[in-house]
Amino acid sequence: MNRRDRQRVGIFLGMVAPGLVIYLFIVAYPIFYSVALSFSDFNPNAGGAWNLIGFTHYQTMIQDPYFWHSLKNNMIVVGVSVFGQIPLGLLLAYILYRKMVKGVNFFQSMVFLPQFLSTIVIGLLWRRMFSADGPVATLMQWFTGDPRAQFDLMLQADTVMYPIGFALIWMYTGFYMVIFLANMQKIDGEMLEAAMIDGANEVQVFFRLMVPLLAGTILVSTILAIAGSLKGFDLIFAITTQGLQRNNAMVLPIYMYQTAFQDFTNPMRFAYGSAISNAIVVVSFVLIGISNWVGKKLDPEEV
Amino acid sequence: MLAKISPILAYGVFLSWALITILPLVWMGYSSFKTNEELVRDIYRLPNALIFNQDHEFQVIARSLNVVLNYDPETDPRERIILESTTVAPTRRLMVYFLIKEDMPPAIQALVPGDKLVLRDLPFGTRTRIGWEMIWFNYSSAFIRGTLAQKFVNSLIYAGLGTLFIVFFGLMIGFSLAKLGFPRLSKVISALIGLGYLLSINSVIIPLFLLLRRIGLTDSHLGIILVYTAFGLPMSVLLSTQFIKGLPDSLIESAYIDGASTLRTFVSIIVPMTIPVIITISIVNALGIWNEFLLVLVLASSEATKSLPVGVFSFSSLTSQQLGWQLAALVIAVVPAMAVYFAFSKQLTQGVVGGAVKG
Repeated sequence: MNRRDRQRVGIFLGMVAPGLVIYLFIVAYPIFYSVALSFSDFNPNAGGAWNLIGFTHYQTMIQDPYFWHSLKNNMIVVGVSVFGQIPLGLLLAYILYRKMVKGVNFFQSMVFLPQFLSTIVIGLLWRRMFSADGPVATLMQWFTGDPRAQFDLMLQADTVMYPIGFALIWMYTGFYMVIFLANMQKIDGEMLEAAMIDGANEVQVFFRLMVPLLAGTILVSTILAIAGSLKGFDLIFAITTQGLQRNNAMVLPIYMYQTAFQDFTNPMRFAYGSAISNAIVVVSFVLIGISNWVGKKLDPEEV
Repeated sequence: MLAKISPILAYGVFLSWALITILPLVWMGYSSFKTNEELVRDIYRLPNALIFNQDHEFQVIARSLNVVLNYDPETDPRERIILESTTVAPTRRLMVYFLIKEDMPPAIQALVPGDKLVLRDLPFGTRTRIGWEMIWFNYSSAFIRGTLAQKFVNSLIYAGLGTLFIVFFGLMIGFSLAKLGFPRLSKVISALIGLGYLLSINSVIIPLFLLLRRIGLTDSHLGIILVYTAFGLPMSVLLSTQFIKGLPDSLIESAYIDGASTLRTFVSIIVPMTIPVIITISIVNALGIWNEFLLVLVLASSEATKSLPVGVFSFSSLTSQQLGWQLAALVIAVVPAMAVYFAFSKQLTQGVVGGAVKG
């Protein structure tokens, strides 16, 4: 290596270094730290020393009813986004794409808006909307004529996920709509016109032509939806009040947060919390694998 | 048949969707100008008591320890007449106004504690001043009692500096990977950074907290900005590498021939040409940081480092009886994001489509 080459390497490394160092230190290193922590007996209440102790925390987790409860709620959230937000987003995008409504830009920016507002603020707003005697309850009183009607879905363990599901659809459908719309606009319009001339109606064009053509985009969106719903923390944290209600609606990231940062008497709080957050990653890889497999089964060529 | 119904159906779907999106926000907006009492009485009525309501009644109260003065009696000995609203949190000394006694007409100077008057009775100038203060009552209360001004500044610092570092470091790496040769090393680095796409702050929050605690960067602006920078880099590097690869090599070669150094080429040729990508990266990241919650919730233990979402959240748990204040706090957090959204919705859409935002 001559002097000029060495200088070039130096320049290259100098340009890359500041960002790369921060990245390795803050993003890459904690991944290994997290894995190690979940196999350790790190006790923050008794100094810093720690040993690797194997799968103990994962065994605790499998027997932990709260873990399964949170996982179940997380699966509901995944279901709402994969079978709610994505089909609705697809439908809305198709309506805009076919120009069935005027003011495409207006509608697009309205539906897309909640995506960019603070999830915490949205959660607090919907907590207010869904409170027992809040705006939604008042609407119910008008429609039913019963002045004492209350909105109690948030208060019961077996119904709390319905209003939360509604808020999730309200918040994120626009995101998928924009992705689908952009990909529809890349499709050759002549194909659709040919189908229309052959007598296909909108419903047939949508299901027979648009959905297969967008199979790849739908799969990518499904993966995004799964990953996003499994790590989503803010909305459910803000929409519920601390205590019983939040426990009823608990999802894995909230369980992880409560274990690590609120359960101060638990000496294994960071180790067990890391085990939970690694479980989130594992579950999302499994679900993404499944959706890839399903995608290939359904449409071996497109995907 | 279907062709006739479908436009109606399409409009129905979109209009109801737009209304469901907008109406909660509209309700939040106008309700933030209502008093607590109004919100309890009728949750949908338009605000009235605080909007230049000339019949708004006040009671003259005596100076006491629980009245927070807005002047310093040491330096300003002029006597005040203290008014408290009889409808907004009466006797709790939350809505209190001060009149300088010597500036008032005789009829008002004669009032003693216990007497009542309505807004209409005051002289015009005072009436207008107090009228405006009443309109912003919820907002000023939220700002002062939740120290939201400081949190607003913190959020600006996080979003501003975080975005600056993300753009600058991301562009430097993108330029090196795209134009400086070293194809194999570049591939390794871009794969390494690409892995960050799979991760979010939420998934490594525990090790991050322990790591930053060990080096003493929890509860500091620097620590929080570093984390935002690191997690914004993957997207910034990806977009800028793609974009800079598309720029012609001849530009850089001619700069070299003219004797410019690599750094100089970067600053004066690459950066100006990358502006469209810089704008997309900046807006998406600034909004993301502005709205981020968990990191600051975990890292910031003192009021001095909390961001606006965390401040609004803890304010709303502390003041669960003051609905009007809470709604005002929500509006304070949402309005800047909405302004950016409507100003840059085209770039945001491009950013989302280009893979800049993770779902």
